[in-house]
Amino acid sequence: MSRRKPIQLAWGVHKEGRTLWTRNAVKGVSVRGERRKKDSRIEWRQWEPQKSKVAACLLKTKLDPSELIPQPGSTCLYLGASSGTTVSHIHDHVCGSGNHHNGQIVSVEISPRMMRDLSKLSELRPGLIPVLGDARNPMVISPYLRDKVDWIHQDISVADQTQSFLKISGIFLKPEGIGLLSLKAASERWIEGGDDSRFKEAEKLINLNKNLTLLENIDISHFESQHRIFVVKKLDMV
Amino acid sequence: MPVLMPSLLIVRLKHEVDAERFVRVIYDWRLARVIDADDQIIDELYWNRISTKNLVDRLSDLQSGRLTTEARSLKERFPEATIDSLGALSDSEWPELSDEEMQKFIEASTRLAKRGVAESSGDIDRRMDMLVSANNELRSSWTTLEARCIEWTGLFLFDLDLDEQRKKIPEIVSKSKSINEVAKEFNVSEPTYQPSKDEWNSINSQAQSVVNLANQITTSEETIRVLANDYLPSLSALMGPISAAKLVVLAGGRERLARMPSGSLQVLGANAAMSAHRKGAPPPKHGAILFSMPAVSRSPRWVRGKVARYLAGKASIAVRIDHFNGQKLTKEQISEIHKEAESIKNKFPKPPKRK
Repeated sequence: MSRRKPIQLAWGVHKEGRTLWTRNAVKGVSVRGERRKKDSRIEWRQWEPQKSKVAACLLKTKLDPSELIPQPGSTCLYLGASSGTTVSHIHDHVCGSGNHHNGQIVSVEISPRMMRDLSKLSELRPGLIPVLGDARNPMVISPYLRDKVDWIHQDISVADQTQSFLKISGIFLKPEGIGLLSLKAASERWIEGGDDSRFKEAEKLINLNKNLTLLENIDISHFESQHRIFVVKKLDMV
Repeated sequence: MPVLMPSLLIVRLKHEVDAERFVRVIYDWRLARVIDADDQIIDELYWNRISTKNLVDRLSDLQSGRLTTEARSLKERFPEATIDSLGALSDSEWPELSDEEMQKFIEASTRLAKRGVAESSGDIDRRMDMLVSANNELRSSWTTLEARCIEWTGLFLFDLDLDEQRKKIPEIVSKSKSINEVAKEFNVSEPTYQPSKDEWNSINSQAQSVVNLANQITTSEETIRVLANDYLPSLSALMGPISAAKLVVLAGGRERLARMPSGSLQVLGANAAMSAHRKGAPPPKHGAILFSMPAVSRSPRWVRGKVARYLAGKASIAVRIDHFNGQKLTKEQISEIHKEAESIKNKFPKPPKRK
C-alpha cells in the first residue's frame, strides 16, 4: 500500500491523509495514550480530532489551516485547558522540545481536578504555564502575561461563552491576532429555535464587535456534537 | 493633598498633572512604572530580590486584585496617578523578562497551580459534595443488596414472613452459622433443600455487607448532619440537615444556591420534569428534595405546588442568611413557617373543579 505523502501544515504540524500529527516535544511520552511514530530522528504524535476541537477545526476548515495555528515562539492564551490534551499539541508546535522556540502558552483552567494533570504536564513541558482560576476574569490572567497574545482559544462550558470571549480577546489579543471560539450549544441558555439559533446569536454578537472580523464558522459536529468553532481575527488598527 | 508629601515633589507633580492629567501607574510582578500620557517614564521601581517562593505569593496577590509592593509605593509617591492594572500589556516599551526571571516565573506558576489544587480541600462545598455523593451511592447499593438478601433467604425459608421480619433478616442471617440456625431463630420450618456450604457462605457474606452498609450509612449521615448544622444553620433548621446538604450539592455550592432565584430552588432535582416542561409539559411543582419534606409530600396533590413554592421562598431566604452571615432563624420563626405551610394546606381542603 502506498502511503500518502505528509503535507506540512506548519513547523510542528503535519497532515497525513486524514490524520494530523505534531512533532513530539517530549520524546517517548504520550499524553493521553495517543499513537506515536518515528520519522528518522523526529517523533510524531497523533492529534486526534475526536479528542481535540482544534484538531477537528484544522481538518474541517476551508481556509489555509496554517493560518489558524499560532507561529512557533508566539504567546498563546488557552482558556479552559482541561487536562491539557490539546494544550500539549499546541505546545509541541509553539514551544518545541525544551522550549527552544521560546514560546508561551498560558493555560487557564478552573477545576482543581483537571489542574492536577495540567500542572504535572507543565513540569515536563517548559513554556506551558498552568493557571488555576476563572477564565472569564481578566485579573486572573493578566499577571501571567507580559504582552498581548498572538493566539487565543476559548473552550469553556458556561453560559455567555461568546460575551466572555469577546471581552477577553478585546483585552488580551494583539492586532492581527487569531482567536478561536469553541462554542458548545448545550451550555448556552435555552432560547427559541434550539442549537442553530444559539449559533446564530453568537455569530451576530461577533459581527457586532468592531474590533474583530469573523473569518470562518466551522461546523465540527462530525467529531463533536453540538459544537462549532468561530475563527476571528483582530483588526490592525485598534 | 496629603500633608506628608515632600513639598518639592508636590510642585513637580502639580506641574505634570496639570499639563497632562493622565499619569498612570502600570505594573507587572517585577516592575512598576509611573508614566504620563506620552508614555514617558516618570518613575520606576524594580523588585530586586526575586525568589520563587515570594513570587508565588505575588502572583496570587495580583490575581486577587492586590497591588505589588512597588506599585503601592509608587501610588503613594504619586497619589494622583491612576492605577492601570492592564496597562503594562499594551506598553510597547515594557521590558522583556530576563532568562533568570523567566525561569523563576515558570517555576512559580506551576507551584501556584499546585498550591491551588492542594487548597481545594479547604472548600467545604467540595467536601460536602463528596460526603453527600458517597452517601447516595451507599444508599443505592444498600437497597440492591438488601433486596437480594431478603429474596435469597426467602427462597430457602419458605414460610418466613418476609414483610413482617424484613428488618431483622439481614442481621440474623449475618450472625448465624447455617440456614437451619436462621430458621430456628425465626421459629419457622427448615428448608426442604439445603444450600451447599459454599452457597451458605455467599448468603451469609451478602447479609454481612448489608449490615456493614447500614452502619456506614448511619456514620456518614451523622457526619453530614454535623457539617450541615455548622455550615448551613438556618437552612438545616428549616429543612433538616440532610436535605439542606443535598440541596447545596444539587445547586453546586452554597453560594450558587444563595444566588439562585427561589423558583429554581423549588424545582432543584426535578431535571427530567423540567426538560419535559421545556417541550410543552406542565411545569414541575417541586424537586426531589423539597418533596421529601412532609409538608409537601403529606399534602394533597392540589396544594403541593403552593406549599412547595412557599417553602422554597423561605429556604432561599435561609440559605442567604447562612451564606451572607445573617442572623440565624430562630425556633419561633421556623415553627411560624411550618404553621403557615399548614394553613395553606387547610385553605384548600377540596381539589379545584375541572374546567
